[in-house]
Amino acid sequence: MEPDPQTNVAEARRWLRSLSGDVRGPLLAAVASGVLAGVFTVVQMGFLAAIIQAVLVDDRALASLTGWFAALIAAVVLRSGAQGLQTRFAAHGSARVQDRVRRQLLASWSDTGPIRLMDTSAGTLAREWLDHVTALHGYFARFQPQMWLSVISPLIILVVVFQLDWLAAIFLILAAPLIPLFMALVGMGAESVNQRHFETVARLSGFFLDRIRGLTTLQLFGQTASAAEAIRQRSDQYRRLTMETLRIAFLSSAVLEFFSSVAIAVVAIYIGFGLLGSIQYGPAAQLTLFSGLFVLLLAPEFFQPLRQLSQHYHDRASAIGAARLLLDRIQAAPVQTTDHSHSPRTMAPAGSSDAAIKVDRVNLIFPNGRPGLIDVSLTVPDGSTTVITGPSGGGKSTLLHVIAGFLHPDSGTVSVRGGLPGQTPFGWLGQSPFLQQGSWANNLRLVAPEATDAQIAEALATVGLGQLVAGRPEGINSAVAESGVGLSGGQARRLSLARCFLADYPLILLDEPTAGLDAASEQQVIRALGELAHRGKTLVISTHHTAVLAMADEVWTATQGRAHHA
Amino acid sequence: MHDLLPWLRLISGRRKRLINGALLMLLTLLAGIALLSVSGWFITASALTGLLLASGLAASLNIYVPGGSIRLFAVTRTVARYLERVYNHNTVLQLLADIRVRVFRDLTRAPLGVRAGRSGANWLNRFTNDVDTMNTLYLRLVAPTAMALLVSLALVGLVWLLGSAPAALTLAGLLTAAFVVATVALYARTRQRAADQVIQTGQLRQAAVAHIEGQAELVAAGVADHYRQDLLASADRYTTVQEHLDRCSGWHLALTGGLVQLASVAVLWFGLALFQDGAISGPVAVLMPLAVLGIQEALAPLPDAFGQLGATVMAARRLNEQSAGIDSSVIVESTTGATEARADFLDDNARPVLTFDAVSIDQGAERDEHVVTPVSLTLEAGDHVGIIGPSGCGKSTLAGIAAGLQAPHRGRCTLAGREYTRLPARDWLQSVSYLTQSTELFDDTVRANLLMADARATDQALWQMLGVVDLADLFASLPAGLDTRVGAYGRHLSGGEGRRLALARALLKPSSLIILDEPFTGVDTAARERIKERLAPVLTGRTLLALGHSTEALPYTDRTLSMTVPDQ
Repeated sequence: MEPDPQTNVAEARRWLRSLSGDVRGPLLAAVASGVLAGVFTVVQMGFLAAIIQAVLVDDRALASLTGWFAALIAAVVLRSGAQGLQTRFAAHGSARVQDRVRRQLLASWSDTGPIRLMDTSAGTLAREWLDHVTALHGYFARFQPQMWLSVISPLIILVVVFQLDWLAAIFLILAAPLIPLFMALVGMGAESVNQRHFETVARLSGFFLDRIRGLTTLQLFGQTASAAEAIRQRSDQYRRLTMETLRIAFLSSAVLEFFSSVAIAVVAIYIGFGLLGSIQYGPAAQLTLFSGLFVLLLAPEFFQPLRQLSQHYHDRASAIGAARLLLDRIQAAPVQTTDHSHSPRTMAPAGSSDAAIKVDRVNLIFPNGRPGLIDVSLTVPDGSTTVITGPSGGGKSTLLHVIAGFLHPDSGTVSVRGGLPGQTPFGWLGQSPFLQQGSWANNLRLVAPEATDAQIAEALATVGLGQLVAGRPEGINSAVAESGVGLSGGQARRLSLARCFLADYPLILLDEPTAGLDAASEQQVIRALGELAHRGKTLVISTHHTAVLAMADEVWTATQGRAHHA
Repeated sequence: MHDLLPWLRLISGRRKRLINGALLMLLTLLAGIALLSVSGWFITASALTGLLLASGLAASLNIYVPGGSIRLFAVTRTVARYLERVYNHNTVLQLLADIRVRVFRDLTRAPLGVRAGRSGANWLNRFTNDVDTMNTLYLRLVAPTAMALLVSLALVGLVWLLGSAPAALTLAGLLTAAFVVATVALYARTRQRAADQVIQTGQLRQAAVAHIEGQAELVAAGVADHYRQDLLASADRYTTVQEHLDRCSGWHLALTGGLVQLASVAVLWFGLALFQDGAISGPVAVLMPLAVLGIQEALAPLPDAFGQLGATVMAARRLNEQSAGIDSSVIVESTTGATEARADFLDDNARPVLTFDAVSIDQGAERDEHVVTPVSLTLEAGDHVGIIGPSGCGKSTLAGIAAGLQAPHRGRCTLAGREYTRLPARDWLQSVSYLTQSTELFDDTVRANLLMADARATDQALWQMLGVVDLADLFASLPAGLDTRVGAYGRHLSGGEGRRLALARALLKPSSLIILDEPFTGVDTAARERIKERLAPVLTGRTLLALGHSTEALPYTDRTLSMTVPDQ
């Protein structure tokens, strides 16, 4: 189960409203189309009633009414056209909102930086970016336009009915003050239905997932049959629980249905008696078959937008749920108010000498208050291999991250090759290299678009992947992940190392390059590191590994946030 | 479409409920149509009678029957709608249980090899989404389609009866067109795109994950912005396809509505012509077109469902493929459970407990594991044997073979002299206790997790075993004791604690062969050494196969076998 989002419902609603402000154009066009469809509906019903009056009461020949029929058909066609346009504009607006939110999320990932971003699993982040953003769709494509329409369309109809028979309009007006009440009722009902439903489904899914995840264990202990039985029982138990609340929750929409049905019935009976001449007061005496039928046909249309809105309520609920999670993510990103190039704390000291990296009295405190680096100063000579070692949590990775520019120190200065950290491209080798779908060559050209096939093959050979790639049917143009079988951790890391050879970076930072590797991969990586050092690259490595330590020109030890030259 | 068949068949197991729910749906629709059309009839009849009365002629109209009917239809529509929603939601929740149990059983029947690669959060997510999609089959697709057809037929019959055959046939033609536009035509138009989009979603998800995991490297190389733009471009293409699908559904819905209204115009024309010929009365001429207008409510839900049918079929196909690998001859499911301890056929000391004879594997359950070098090994009763080797050397695959979860591709593996294929998997699984490399705990109590291994174990036995794995003190200090919940993924425990609990569970299973794959992952050195000491008496008299990356990672063994990485 996911933790409760920090963002509350009101904030989420505000955010959704502000997003709809960004796509006002398409949303307005959708509402306008909907209003137009409503107007054509009124016209259609008017002609329908008028034709009936003309034939049944005024005894006009059907052949003389072809013009009216043409108008009726035109109204039908225009009404459908307007309805089509409404969904078209709404879909467009929703798509633009989704694109925008996806951009915002990517920007927030970038602001968070590669290190803090990995506090959350990539799967969760990807799900937010894809599924939760898609969950906003119904809100913008359906709920938002319908909300306006459920106010505007009934008003238009009310005005028309008022012209025809003010007493009939009064019946509808009597329902009008009830409409906000309806909406509240429907809203509350739908909200609780949705909440219940989501909770139920989430809990059930959790239980179901838990059993599927542990399927092998269930088989090993001969528990699959009882687990299947447990799934059934649990589902049944939740069903009974949910049904209890649903029975009450559905009542609210039944009330809406009831009012719309009763209003039609009341209007029909009032008009019928009026036409019979049984009602002597008010406008009833002036009723004709035309006005009577027209009012009757408009009565269901008066309630239709509201009924539709109640159907779209679950869109709103799921959008708010998604919005809370998305807003949490976006707001968690540090605000990039200051441009770091002008910030004094990271200003590069002038006139850096032959030092490739100069870290000067750097302090860094993590958001949770834990000190990351305390007054750390270190110099890495150009072309040297520097190893930072120390216990886990001692600060060696943090120091590397500061040199990479992934984390910004709270005070002190860092200069890399005379500039700011991250200003010029450098090699980075972490635990999870970037692998894109596609060939080996594509994956290497990522950093060196101009590289020739021969250079790529050579770089792969240098990191000991030559044989593996040569064995694939299309050599370096074979897909990295063939027939669904990906690379092992060691192979992926060596691919990343091959990029360092190809791009010819003067500086390469490596975060525990041998962690989690098997012996063979480990040796290949260490050999490749030696080769990089031999080619005069500056290497800064955080590691425990004795073989890596052995190749260091300089060793620093990071303990409890402080670094010492060893 | 045939991909949906097994699911429709499954759903039809609750035929009575489905029919009742559909009837309630039908009642709601018919009451709505009747409400409007009888009202129209009543108003027209009143108007015509009123005119006669006004001109001084004697005329009368029975106002009680239509007035009463209108009220009845108004109430019926409301009540039927309410009952329909409650009843059908109940049905859907029952179907949810049916579908999940069925899917779960299918999964349990698939041998481990078939399931390989079908794990991980992404797979699980997609899998549950697919299962949920099958859940909407009845309420979104089957019932509304059937009801739309029934109501259309009833209406055509009504117009035939009250009006004329040409009117009815014209109506039938236009309604057929509306139905086709709302269903088949839309499906044909969106099928390919909807299916493509499902694939596109998967690719986009993978690309997003790669981008997140590789961000450090991309930022360092100064190409992060470039790849961000790439990712956004794919995302924009994705929403464009989504938008296109929405627009298709929207236009088809609008066209469906337009056709229904045209049908009402046509019926109006026919009705009025019949009226002028004196064939029918005025009120009946009004009743028919109004009834046709009412059918829109029956057709309106269809375009949405059929616009997504392409994706629904894809989901069904994936789930079907899931169970396609089921080999009915290998029934891994145990029906009796470990509780009814059968005679453990490993007690027969005459034969070696476990033998590997030149066993090798091309592609292991762990996706990059290959056992290329054939392994031969014999475990006599009471032997404690260790296998060490680096990750990727095929240890876990070997353990899976020994546990009877997977057959070797080459060579022979026997348990008490009997070969894997000759032995009912259930017997094999009952005779072996296997601690898998990944810790699998269930979101339940400590007790429930342990009792899986031996339902008859007393609390005392459980505490004793927790003592062996150095967890007794921890749980004794917690207020809930054995009833402490371990959380989803065993999240309330640390990695090492979860591992030790899983180890305790494996030891509790009363079987004479125990296979432990990396038993001490995440367990600190001091605790590991303590546990090793306490393990010795527990393992006495039982046969042990332990696998790990080094000898320190194994319990004490009599001999150790070393494996190497096959490639490079």
